[in-house]
Amino acid sequence: MYKGTPSRIRKVLYTLIIAFVLLCVRLVFVQLGAARSLSNIASNQYRLLVPLLPKRGVIYDRNLKELAININLVSIFAEPFKVKDKGIDSQKLASILGLSQDEIYKKLNQKRGFVWLGRKVSQDTARVIRALNIKGIDFIKEPHRAYPNGVIASHILGFTDIDNNGLEGLELKFDKYLKGVIGYRYAIRDAKQREVPGYEYKEIQPIDGDNLVLTIDSLIQSFAERELENGFKKYHAKGACIIVMDPFTGDILALSNRPNFDPNNAKAEPPDSRRNRAICDFFEPGSSFKIITASSLLEEKAVQPSDKFFCENGEYKWCGHKYHDHKPHGWLEFRDVIKYSSNIGTMKAAQRLGKDRLYKYIKKFGFGEKTGIELPGEVNGITTHPNTWSKLSLCSISMGQEVTVTALQLACAMSTLANGGNLVKPRIVDMIQDCTGNVIQKFEPKKPQRVISEETAREMRTILRSVVDSGTAKLAEVEGYFPAGKTGTAQKVESNGTYSHSKFTASFIGFVPSDNPKFVIVVIMDEPRPIYYGGVVCAPVFKKVAAELMSYYKIWPKDKKVAEKNNKKPAS
Amino acid sequence: MVTFVAVMYVNQQALIYQMGLKVKQNNDVYAKLVDHNKILVYNVLNLRSPVALERRLLAKEVELSMPSKWQVVKIDHSPKKLVLNYKNLAKKSPLANLFVSGR
Repeated sequence: MYKGTPSRIRKVLYTLIIAFVLLCVRLVFVQLGAARSLSNIASNQYRLLVPLLPKRGVIYDRNLKELAININLVSIFAEPFKVKDKGIDSQKLASILGLSQDEIYKKLNQKRGFVWLGRKVSQDTARVIRALNIKGIDFIKEPHRAYPNGVIASHILGFTDIDNNGLEGLELKFDKYLKGVIGYRYAIRDAKQREVPGYEYKEIQPIDGDNLVLTIDSLIQSFAERELENGFKKYHAKGACIIVMDPFTGDILALSNRPNFDPNNAKAEPPDSRRNRAICDFFEPGSSFKIITASSLLEEKAVQPSDKFFCENGEYKWCGHKYHDHKPHGWLEFRDVIKYSSNIGTMKAAQRLGKDRLYKYIKKFGFGEKTGIELPGEVNGITTHPNTWSKLSLCSISMGQEVTVTALQLACAMSTLANGGNLVKPRIVDMIQDCTGNVIQKFEPKKPQRVISEETAREMRTILRSVVDSGTAKLAEVEGYFPAGKTGTAQKVESNGTYSHSKFTASFIGFVPSDNPKFVIVVIMDEPRPIYYGGVVCAPVFKKVAAELMSYYKIWPKDKKVAEKNNKKPAS
Repeated sequence: MVTFVAVMYVNQQALIYQMGLKVKQNNDVYAKLVDHNKILVYNVLNLRSPVALERRLLAKEVELSMPSKWQVVKIDHSPKKLVLNYKNLAKKSPLANLFVSGR
């Protein structure tokens, strides 16, 4: 620096040198230190990530009829800062969307870039709003789960939420298979945040969800539901359920509950209607449970069908407690004890078996454990260990009190008698297929466990046939097909722990035909009124479903008279 | 030269954009048709569902029941299709297969 340079110039020079050095330092920092983060910020401004939604898997019945499919519906959203006349626009939208003007005005007044106005609206609604051409209101397509059969099999299928996540039934249980994997498209956007076509630089294709094939037959399901509905309404029941099952494979052909709901609009019904009572509710089965006591007694050879028991003319005092039959009986053979559903005869017979052996068979028949069906929410039921039983327990349990079961457990137990003594595992999902139809997983029927001998099962089938033929379930008779079964009418327990005299659970569990069983049918009604007997309330439902099943499978009657009547065209 | 290359580059980019736009428009039309088809399929399934059929039949007071045996004709085998044995035809006579087409 020259000696003569004025100090002001020097100061400016020093300042410039310092500024230059600082700029160089900043440049080095930008180029080397912050290059990556700054480049990310820049790329985020022009890059666009477009999610590609997978198709949710379809649910089919056993004949590959669609039970749950997908359709695309339009959702409407707003970008509030773009909407100019919020007052007038909210008024226009309110009448079309069926919302209040205030509600829409509040949404449009939010300081957010995006608000939903309506999700998955009908095509007509979308068309009308589109015609209004309001600036700041836009449309997007979203996949929507649809159930073309409406209420049919609603408790099996379940339903999804607005974002297509499974919430109930098989939709929930198999959600991870059904929902698929989301894909993405990496594209470039312009200054108005719109995707620039032709500049997609990376695309990860979505993987569509897998399809489910069920063991349900939608036609059987529909007529089982129809008959259950008729019975449910006729007897003003609080709840009801029906199960139709193949006793050899454990395939559930139909399963329905009342009250029910439409999965297309599941929110419309209270949560109580959405409960799958057949597997989630347990109840004291009452006389239906005598099939377990009788099978155990015959299997252990503790009684013979011809052994006689005195039924005390309808009233019997035991350990300070009075037991009653619904009709007084004197001496009855054991087969008639079951046929007429005598409580006193059954409890006297059970004394010969003892509590340990009875408990052993209760467990062997699968009570107190989940059946393992592929539906969520299944309960165990309650079977207590004999160590905790009171003096009365053996008598009570032998006739279906102090023990709780599910309808599905009863169906499995009845299947054991129908198929010759093997306990089958119920199944409702046949296979999982990928979107191209390849089988990913096949749910084969599990190996059944022998519970009672074929001879005992045959004897039980004969006894159960007599129940329908001339016992408590005459209303279950299907002409020419010889069905068999057992009625049950159980008192419900009141909140104070005593048995109610006005609330009952009626049931009928049976199979058809009795000589070569093809179907097991369980019908349960919760608190039917004014009549509450299983043989009156549930047996007719069984009869109608059994008759339709026989016709549907073209199984013609074996009874000569009926067969002749059926074979000939009526003279008229 | 540089200007020419630059113009060509811009032109190419514009063409890519136009092409992309066309593809997008076609995709939109395709998606719209697919969606429409899905809704129609849903409507057909809905109309064919046993509940809907039953409701309509009951409204018209038509009661249907399962058929009796005399109302069912069971065909054990489908009728045999006309199968021509070309080899034998050729052996029999050179003119025999004159009128056989679609070999």
